[in-house]
Amino acid sequence: MKTTAETIGKTVLDAVKFSGGTFTLFCQTLLAVALPPFRTRQTFEQMVKIGVDSLPIATLTSFFMGVVIALQSAYQMQKVNAEMYIPSLVAISITREIGPVLTGLVVAGRVGASIAAELGSMKVTEQIDALETLAAPPVKYLVAPRFVALFTMLPLLTIYADAIGIFGGYVVSVFKLGLSHALYVRMTFDPLALKDIFSGLFKTVVFAMIICITACYEGMRVEGGAEGVGNATTRAVVTSFVLIIIADAFFTVIFYFLT
Amino acid sequence: MGMDGLMMEARKVSKSFNGKMVLNQMSLTVARGETLVIIGRSGCGKSVFLKHLIGLMQPDSGSIMVDGMDLSALSTRQMNHMRMRFGMVFQGAALFDSMTIGENVGFGLTEHSSLSQAAVRDRAEEALELVGLKGIQDLKPSELSGGMKKRVALARAICMKPEILLYDEPTTGLDPIMSDAINDLIVSLHDRLKVTAVVVTHDMVSAYKVGTRVAMMYHGNIVEIGTPDEIRNTTNPVVRQFITGSASGPITDIQFKSLTTA
Repeated sequence: MKTTAETIGKTVLDAVKFSGGTFTLFCQTLLAVALPPFRTRQTFEQMVKIGVDSLPIATLTSFFMGVVIALQSAYQMQKVNAEMYIPSLVAISITREIGPVLTGLVVAGRVGASIAAELGSMKVTEQIDALETLAAPPVKYLVAPRFVALFTMLPLLTIYADAIGIFGGYVVSVFKLGLSHALYVRMTFDPLALKDIFSGLFKTVVFAMIICITACYEGMRVEGGAEGVGNATTRAVVTSFVLIIIADAFFTVIFYFLT
Repeated sequence: MGMDGLMMEARKVSKSFNGKMVLNQMSLTVARGETLVIIGRSGCGKSVFLKHLIGLMQPDSGSIMVDGMDLSALSTRQMNHMRMRFGMVFQGAALFDSMTIGENVGFGLTEHSSLSQAAVRDRAEEALELVGLKGIQDLKPSELSGGMKKRVALARAICMKPEILLYDEPTTGLDPIMSDAINDLIVSLHDRLKVTAVVVTHDMVSAYKVGTRVAMMYHGNIVEIGTPDEIRNTTNPVVRQFITGSASGPITDIQFKSLTTA
């Protein structure tokens, strides 16, 4: 029988273990990324897998998010005859918040799960041990390429998602709410400052690290066959989701007070 | 050190997992050029010991010496250098399934030598030829049978021309004919390449055939070590029970006793 104290103790212990493990992995990864030899081919493969292959889902989610924000705000704005501010609202909430977070979550689900499952399967079939015996350190060979790929592709995906989201808002506003093309464009870009885009992109860089390190860490410590791989995949996705949302809240507060 | 024909030495190595003692002050020496077979029941810690020899696991106490060097004292760079002197064949072959057979076998050379792609391919073909598999470089591991995978794993292990080969259950899960083919291969590689080898197995046919010495592992330690003939004629009841494959004897008695007293 487990007492409450035991449960709390175990949770705290797990959290400490996770923080320690991921921090160590993070430092090893930075070192592996900084020092030659560089895994150009593997990194490129991962970039395609992480970035290019995520385009369809990023398009779908951000387009509809733009549509929803425009319609949702129209519902309020029409009451005070302020429809002309809809484009600004769409642009700012997408670039500062929705674009980065939504893309981060989509990639955490799609890519984080696949990284954890792939590395987990490699662990249980001893492929990770085999890499070590062939003097190819797994962090260098497996984690570093994924880290670089996520680090570069997630911001690019976010920029793309921002654009698609704004286009979604445009479609609704121009074809349904009767705003003119010129007004929409002006009201999108007038209030939009570079710092809005950059604060969003800064977040995505942090999200990229969270996704990569969590998934690789969970994958590489899998034990116990197929069941272990399944559990690690779930843990990787859930933990990334939670950390992304916490990090997002944290940086939103910081940027709010900075500006 | 390391000149007197001693290749590897385990000194009072202990290791436990979650409080369960797997290696208990285990000491063992491997002579240069010999093929030492470690036998024992499944789960007795043979594979764990093998992973200690190549530094995949670190002992809780005690030390592993390879060619006069303490593995725990090596830097990462030195350790990687040391590992290039090893080849390891894993129980489940552990081929990289994202790569072709050729890339698998040539992996070490691609990583650690300045050879051209064509030269690596030649060397990989050479290694594959040694294990009797020619012209399969462009296949993927998933297209091979269990026995072929094991042979490819062997080819990958020898492609870098290592001095030491470690085999983790090389015949487990193979049919008797394929097992015998693998045994022949281990013997011929030993004769041709003059490597030092450690083979972990519970297959007695294989143990007698490939071993220059056989060591029996029991309760995290070595209970008996000798030539295959010495082991065959042993009077040690624990070893007798294992090599004759009998369900009743001291090994299982202790288990039953501990079960009933628990």
